[in-house]
Parts: sequence; structure tokens; C-alpha cells
Amino acid sequence: MVPWKAAALLLAGATLIANPAAAQEVGTATAVNPTSESTPPGGSTQTLTLGAHIIHKEHIHTSPSGSVQLLFLDKSSLSIAPNTSIVIDEFIYDPNSGKGHMLTTLTQGALRYVGGELSHQGEATIQTSNATIGIRGGTLTVGQGSGGTKVLNQYGAITISNNGGTVVVTMPGYEVTITGWNIPPGQPTKVTDAEILHYLALLTSKPGQHGGGQFSSFGNLACGGPGQAACPTPPWFSTNAGQDAANQIIVQGTHLGTSQTPPPPSCTGDCPH
Amino acid sequence: MARPADPNNTLQYAAGAAAAGDIESAISAYEQLLFYNPKLSQTRFQLGVLYYELGSYDMARGYFETALQMPDVTPDLQQKIADLLDLVNKKLQVDQFSGYAQTGLRWQSNASQGPGSQTTLASGQPFNSAFAAKSDWNWFGTFGVNYVHDFQSQSGTTFEATVLGYDAQQFTQHQVDIGLMEIRAGPRFALSPGNINGITIKPYVVTTGALLADVAYMGGVGGGLTAHVTVANVSLDPYSEWVQQSFRNSTFYPLASGMTGPLATYGTLASGPIGSGLSWQSRVAYAHANDQFAFDSYNGFIGDLWLPWSFSVPGSGRPWTLTPSGGVTTWNYKAADPAINPLVAANVTEWRVSLGLEIPIWQKFVLASLVQYRDDLSNVAAFAIHDLSVTAGPSIKF
Repeated sequence: MVPWKAAALLLAGATLIANPAAAQEVGTATAVNPTSESTPPGGSTQTLTLGAHIIHKEHIHTSPSGSVQLLFLDKSSLSIAPNTSIVIDEFIYDPNSGKGHMLTTLTQGALRYVGGELSHQGEATIQTSNATIGIRGGTLTVGQGSGGTKVLNQYGAITISNNGGTVVVTMPGYEVTITGWNIPPGQPTKVTDAEILHYLALLTSKPGQHGGGQFSSFGNLACGGPGQAACPTPPWFSTNAGQDAANQIIVQGTHLGTSQTPPPPSCTGDCPH
Repeated sequence: MARPADPNNTLQYAAGAAAAGDIESAISAYEQLLFYNPKLSQTRFQLGVLYYELGSYDMARGYFETALQMPDVTPDLQQKIADLLDLVNKKLQVDQFSGYAQTGLRWQSNASQGPGSQTTLASGQPFNSAFAAKSDWNWFGTFGVNYVHDFQSQSGTTFEATVLGYDAQQFTQHQVDIGLMEIRAGPRFALSPGNINGITIKPYVVTTGALLADVAYMGGVGGGLTAHVTVANVSLDPYSEWVQQSFRNSTFYPLASGMTGPLATYGTLASGPIGSGLSWQSRVAYAHANDQFAFDSYNGFIGDLWLPWSFSVPGSGRPWTLTPSGGVTTWNYKAADPAINPLVAANVTEWRVSLGLEIPIWQKFVLASLVQYRDDLSNVAAFAIHDLSVTAGPSIKF
């Protein structure tokens, strides 16, 4: 670890010690579908509610119908699928310097991590029983089940390491499957459309659920309607490049031709029309 | 977002983050809103757009596809999603083709790009009346094709090629009938794979060819190096290019070979969003031509700014695009041309303004029109021209 990182961690740790109640709040539950539970370190398990503060080393568990979105102080977020257990093992973040580190353990289930300041510095890690997943960027989905760990890269550079070796995934739309801590991670392969749709459905509310919030309309922030902004469109590009290039050639040609004697009334060879 | 009881606050935050280029924060906010109401097609559409901007085309496709299944999706939004899905599906191919083609008619007040017929040359030589300012119409056809081969490696390496073609046949001023083609091709390497804001570089070869007055006029071969980087919502494509140009004499251009020589260009393309469907694109470049005839050699500057604005029109599924633009080109010739003005090395400054309008007609076809005015100012009377041009015709972007 480079000295400035060590110093930042020591500083953040000192802050935690000096003001434990405030510093241990690392994020907020911004969407909660029942039943989702949390267990703070040394505390009892309680039902997670919308707006609940998430603290360092908190254990979060969702039932077969439960799902959660957590928003962290560094602006990263975790969407947590049903039947999932995670622990926020470490979250050290200095908002002034933007330095720190996050470590989350996924015991079972699935989550989507959308990156924030820490991951932009390569300081976000997800641990499973099969691999350590280092995130630089980045946005990814991780599934942990009896078949092993599956890592789907959506954006960023993902470094997957275990006793068997290391694989780096840098291209969006690729996944790696890891079946054991001592087994080398597989090579990146293209994600299928079916897998994407599966995780999209898994990592949000199911029909009839509303995550504890109410949201019914975009109002004027919708796009394409009367009085609203145009929807995002494919990038515009000029179709006049040929005409522009032709203009330049003709102008220079005219500069040349201006002083030349006109061609004879009838000619042979390279005569124009 | 930390006040989850207030979804409007979250919505404002999401829109603001997206506008500021903080795509991941915007994704987190819209995914929060998706938890609150998974049936809103607009939320899924916005997420699809954001993942598209991240280069995560699989996720974009997933959100677009599910947006189409939502009960509240409107015909307008369906159309927009279909357009973007088309783009996303293309990006997910190993071999990707995109581009445009257009044909139409063009009227110019000064098609021959020449000075007034009363112009006298300081050299005392006769003025070639074939190049006096005359209005004319032409038929034109043009196309541009971009090809990308994705090697599907974790290095992010691709092979890219662009082909540009243009042909214009005048109704009467055939000395400016022109056809040209440019091909650029080379591999693109990512210096930091996985970082959407990371730098990519592309060495490439370039070949060009042009017919003028319907005979071979110019050919060129060379190479260049370009890079691409995004900084705070601004895309930059600096480039340097060197082309050995060879000109051939013809009946109308008997001294064209004097322009044979290398042309070096150093410049950058830049673009970025402004907001509400408005964006900007620009080009600035310095050019240096070292030709056989010193009076054909020049140093030049090119600058252009386009402001494409896409806006919704009631009853039209796809947006219209209005594009005002302005630009300047300078030619500072190295020596006086003894046949025109033996005492003065010519300086030419061309100012141009234009207004383009693209109106959707059917599927990917648009009616594209362009009105352009160009004014060339020069210390040599023979090089001072102005031209009003109106272009219109059907165009397809694919």
C-alpha cells in the first residue's frame, strides 16, 4: 500500500474512533421490499425500512420476496436481490479527500454494484467464497450460488482473483464464472441477453412491490412529449463532409484556373461535356 | 437520494447527474426510482440511455426491451426506443456498419467558384472566363460508411475504416463537375481498457482520389494518427495526417500538377452536449501544403462549429434536427503567382455560415436540406468570391 493510502486509512480510522456514532453510518437504504432484514454488529436482527442508516459491518439479508437498494456515502449503490446475504465488512471514506476503501462480502444471492468515488480509484472490493473481485470503474452484477460465482461486467475493469489465478475483465458485456477458491477463474465470455433480462428482473421490485416509495410520473422531466425536451437520440453527424471537401478542391482549382487561357471551342482527349 | 421519501428530489438529482455526465450516479438514482415503480417505461428508457452512454450495450438493450413491454409506453417512445435498439444491436455485432447516403439537387449562385466576369488580373494576362462567377444547378450523390470490426478481446482493440464518396454533375458549368473518394483505415487501441474516458489511439492509412471536369485530377496516399478521449462530457479526437498528393494536368487545369506535394494537417474534432436536444461539434485544424509551385504552397487554418438541435414536432415520431453552423478557412500562399499578381502573395479568408434541416420522412429516411453562404476575402481580386448554395434531397442514415 502506498504511503498516502495508508495515511488516508489511518486518518479515516482515527475519525471512526473519535466519533463512532456518526462515522459508522456508511449509507442509506433508499429502497426496501419486504422482507429485508439487517443485523448491526453486536445488535439484534431487525426489519430494514426505507431511509434506515446502514452502518459499518452491518449484515443484510433478504427473503425470497425481499430486495433492497443501498446508497453509500461515496455515491455508489448496491441493489440486492431476493434470497441474498451480504456484509458491509469495511467502508472507510473521507468525503474531503475522496479516499478510502469498501469491502463487501456476498455470501449468497445476487447484487448489482454501481460505482462511486471509491471504485473510481480501484478501492471497492466484493468478496465471495470463490474469489476476490476488485472493481475499478465500474458497474457489475455478481451472482453467488451453488454453481459458483458469476461476475458480469457492465462497465470498468474488474480483477477477479483467487488461489487459482487472476483474470481481468475490461470490456462491458463479458462475464466470468468461478467455481472454487482453488480453481482458476474461467476466461471472459459474452453475456447472453437472457442473463441480462434475468438479473434485471431480479434486481428490482417485483409486480406489486414499490420499494417503500411512491413514484408515478416523470412530469416535465420525461422526454419527447409536448413541452418536454427531446429524447436522447443517436449522435448527430454531418452528411455534408463530401460537399465541404469538394468545395475546397474546387476553390483551389479555380485559383489555378483563373489565369489559364480558356479551352478551345472544340477539343479532343480530356474534353469535358 | 439520501431522502428516499421524496422521489421528485431523486428524479431531479438523476436528471442533473445525467446532464453533468455523472452517469453512474444517474443510474443509481433511476434504479432507485425503478424500485418504486417498475412499470414506468420512461425509467427503463432513461436507464437504457445511460447504460448506452457507459458503453454497456447489453444492459442498454435489456432496459430498452423491457421498456417496450411496459403498459404506459407511448407510440412516440416506442419509436425512439426502436431507433436506439437498432443502434445498440449494431454495437453488439462483431462487424458493425453505419453511415449515410444522400442524393439531391444543389443550386449555387457561383457554381464555378470564380470572381466576377469583369475581374482583371494584375499580371495583365487574360482572365479565363470559364471561371467567372456563374450560377448553376447540379445533381449530387454522396455517401459515408463507417466500418468497425470488434476483435472481442479484453484489450478493446478494433479495426476501423471509413469511406467517403461524393459526386456532383453540373447542368452547365462542367469544369467543376467533381467526384471524390476518401478512405481511411486502421486499428484502434485502448490505452486503458475498461475506462470509458480512457484514451484510444488509431494509426491509419489514407487514400484519396478526385475527378474534376470529369477527368482524373488528384490522388493522394498517406497516413495519420488520431486519438479519442472524453473529458468532462467533451469528446476530443485530435489527429495529425500527412498525405502525398499528386495532381494531373487536364484541359481545364493545365497547371494542376504544380500542386503536387505533401499536405500535412494537424487538428482536432470535438463535440459535447449542451442540453435539451442541443449539442455542439467543432473542428479546428492547421494545414501546410508544400507544393511543386511555391505559389501553390500554403499554410492554412480551418475552423468550424456546428450546433445540431433535435426537437420534437407534434405528429412526427422522430425528432427534426436543425443545425446552424459557421466556419472559416484561410490560405496564406507562400509566393506570388506571376500569372495572376506577380507582386502579391495571395491571402484568402473564407467565411461560411449555413443552416441545415433534417425532416424525418419514413423509417430511416429524412429530407435533408442545407442553405450555405460563403464569402472568400482576398488581397488578390481574382480570389475574392462569394457563393450562396441551396442543397436538398432525400437522405438515409443507417
